[in-house]
Amino acid sequence: MLLANRRLRTVLPLVIAILGIGIGWALSVGLSGYVVYLAISMVTATISLLGLGIVTGSAGIIALCQLTFSAIGAWVVTFLNKNEAPGGFIVWLVAGALVAALAGVLLGLPALRLRGVNLAVVTLGAAAAVDVLLVQTQFPGQQDGLSVERPGLFSSDREYFFFAVIVLVVCIYLVFLLQRSRVGSSWKAVAFSERGTAAVGQSVRLAKLSAFAMSAALGGVSGGLLAGQVGIPYASSFTPLMSIAFYILAVMSGTYLIDMAIFGGVLWVLVPELLKRWGVPQDWGFVIFGLLGIQAITGGSNLGEVIRGGFRKSAKKRRAAQAETASNDVGTTALDVFAVPEAAEPIPADAAPVLEVRSLGVQFGALKANDDVSLQVRPRSIMGLIGPNGAGKSTFVDAVSGFLPQHTGTVLLDGEDITRLSPVARARKGLRRTFQQDRVPPQLSVEAYVRFVARKRLDHDELADALAFLGCPPPEEQLANVDVGTRRLIEVAAAVLSGPRVLILDEPAAGLSHEEHLQFGHRLTRIPSRFDTAIVVIEHDLDLVRSVCTELTVLDFGKVLAQGPTREVLDDPAVVAAYMGDAEITQ
Amino acid sequence: MNGGALLQGALSGLAAGGVYAVFAVTLTLMSRLVRVVNFAQAATGMFAAFVAVWFASKLGLPVWLATIAGILVGALLSALIGWIAATWLSDADLSTRSAMTVGPFLLLMSLSYILFGNKPQPFAPIFNGPAFTISGVVVSWVTVITVTLAVIVAVAAALVLRKTTIGTKLRALSDRPTTAELIGISSKPLAIGVWAVTGAVSAITILIIAPTQSNDAVTLSMLIIPAAAAALLGGFKRLDLAVVGGLLLGLINGMVAQINELALVRNFVPLIFIVILLLWSQRKEVWDAAR
Repeated sequence: MLLANRRLRTVLPLVIAILGIGIGWALSVGLSGYVVYLAISMVTATISLLGLGIVTGSAGIIALCQLTFSAIGAWVVTFLNKNEAPGGFIVWLVAGALVAALAGVLLGLPALRLRGVNLAVVTLGAAAAVDVLLVQTQFPGQQDGLSVERPGLFSSDREYFFFAVIVLVVCIYLVFLLQRSRVGSSWKAVAFSERGTAAVGQSVRLAKLSAFAMSAALGGVSGGLLAGQVGIPYASSFTPLMSIAFYILAVMSGTYLIDMAIFGGVLWVLVPELLKRWGVPQDWGFVIFGLLGIQAITGGSNLGEVIRGGFRKSAKKRRAAQAETASNDVGTTALDVFAVPEAAEPIPADAAPVLEVRSLGVQFGALKANDDVSLQVRPRSIMGLIGPNGAGKSTFVDAVSGFLPQHTGTVLLDGEDITRLSPVARARKGLRRTFQQDRVPPQLSVEAYVRFVARKRLDHDELADALAFLGCPPPEEQLANVDVGTRRLIEVAAAVLSGPRVLILDEPAAGLSHEEHLQFGHRLTRIPSRFDTAIVVIEHDLDLVRSVCTELTVLDFGKVLAQGPTREVLDDPAVVAAYMGDAEITQ
Repeated sequence: MNGGALLQGALSGLAAGGVYAVFAVTLTLMSRLVRVVNFAQAATGMFAAFVAVWFASKLGLPVWLATIAGILVGALLSALIGWIAATWLSDADLSTRSAMTVGPFLLLMSLSYILFGNKPQPFAPIFNGPAFTISGVVVSWVTVITVTLAVIVAVAAALVLRKTTIGTKLRALSDRPTTAELIGISSKPLAIGVWAVTGAVSAITILIIAPTQSNDAVTLSMLIIPAAAAALLGGFKRLDLAVVGGLLLGLINGMVAQINELALVRNFVPLIFIVILLLWSQRKEVWDAAR
């Protein structure tokens, strides 16, 4: 059953792909000549939208030059055609995609560190500049009326349509595999939170550049195909206005979903065609796109998500019914399959600390947020980091995890100095953290997120059990449908399953009720002995701290107020004063 | 190519520079006060100016009346976009609000094709001819007026923000929106007001320069690119640097236009300007702006 499931997951997409090619062949034979030509346009638009969907998966990233990449692809194809380069059309098409990808990376570089709007300005600038350049210089071979030579087997329009469908299916399959992989998860994660992405050991730069490159490459393929379709491409097929319309179309239909990219491609061809039949000026098409785009962005959703939302609701009901019949009792053994053997061995009494922080200081202007903070975390221990609001706990976590490179002092992980390392490098060395704010990308499923964070192979069913033990929803659930408190739990579970040396949890149970809180704490105590992980937990609930933590560090006004075994620290009058206020003591 | 030609080029570029500066100032104001980079800014001005031309040529209104009507249309259009942003995207971040303005950008350009065709419009020049000459180089009225307009708009905006009650409220709203609303400043009318004023300024600017340059819908709407480049110099925050950026970009563009060898590079000047500024401004930024 399990094996069949897994096989289905790899075979089904292939079957669908072959089916798609079959449908393409049937259409290429069955459709009328005029419709076939339109259908080629639909295919090129779909490939381009598929690429755009990768970067505009969230409306925060604005890319306004998709057709510029297409123009680059078309230019390369016409150039190679004119120079009768070896390899023929297919090789030229790939070359066009590669050059376009390179252009995408170059354009992405200046907008790498800041989000959204800067990329919009850069891409719009590129779209306008390249457009004027193309009008001035024209495509290679355009003046001589030199038509691009189609691949030998696919020279008629019908055959060329079939060829385009094959290219489309290959592109879709590639995007599908990428989206399911860790690379695809990193694209969605980085669109939602750069800090969250870096904190799980994924390079933000690589995630963004690979997304730009893939997006531009698909634009290049689309342009190359268009060059083969029309023979002699003109600059008027790649105007900035059309790029803007493409962006709007991608956002409103949600073309990071593959079916929606196809739908968008159909719209791109169908709307002007219908307007033409009805005798309405074609520019109304873009007016409609503009209105729908405003509607989609103000509504905060898109067509694809609306349709999927409906399906998911019914699927969820089905699952809930199933869950009721099958009793859902998961014991602590759920975690054992992930346990590391070393964790069973006893710790020598004189074991070196796994995390050591020496006189750490962070200064914001005149404010010393952390001042001479030192602590040592022993292997497999759970240390509580407590202190009143504004004591500098979260600043401490930011500094230790690498997000405040200006901090002073030293951080040692397993005796190795990691003070100068980036957050990504620290995470990969086994120092993981979670955030107080929600940094879990809602576009992923629970399973995809956990795999992305854990950075290793996990079996689906074992994963489901581990999630259930930690109080998380099933792996198939979409994070978008999970409340914020539970998302934080999933964040913790994923970080645990990555098997870190040290795991720093910043108020992990803030969204939970008191009972859930204690249950969560109880489960937390099972983790160190199974994963050989030491935990530092920031927590306000003193009941939880008392029952879970073996040692405590108390921060107050950025300084260490007290440190030591839990009971001693909690009885310290200075700690009580800082925590409860002086009134408590005088009573 | 000689020094005189370069100087003439630079000064003629200054007219465009003034336009970039005005738009850069309005972009900066909107980014600061209503959290948006309005991509439809120049398109709004373009559409309003085309309506003014239509009023004058088709309805036979006198030029001054058509001009005023056009400015009103610009203010109303912009206010409408602002109303959408203030109603449905009041809590959204800058990126999302800016993404929304791409919709009106597309819409206004397409609508202008439908209503006015894609030919350049017959603008009756409001200001024309040479103003004065310095050492054999002619400075046109348009140059004088656009540069003055840029400075006036920037200074007026700075004065309003610092000296008036409305300015204080606007700053309060932009710095601490929730606190400002809690002490009784209603954000929506003020925000829409900002949109309306910038819309009117855009319309005025386009009406001034449209008669002297290629004035089709695309060219005018795409003025947003050099304007954004200029605003980037001030980081979408500082008005004075936005003005400087606009004028500088105009000067560079004008000079490059005089050099035949650089004819193909000319269109890339704003893009190169943008890229250099972004690389420079981001050299240190690591985790500040990131979520």
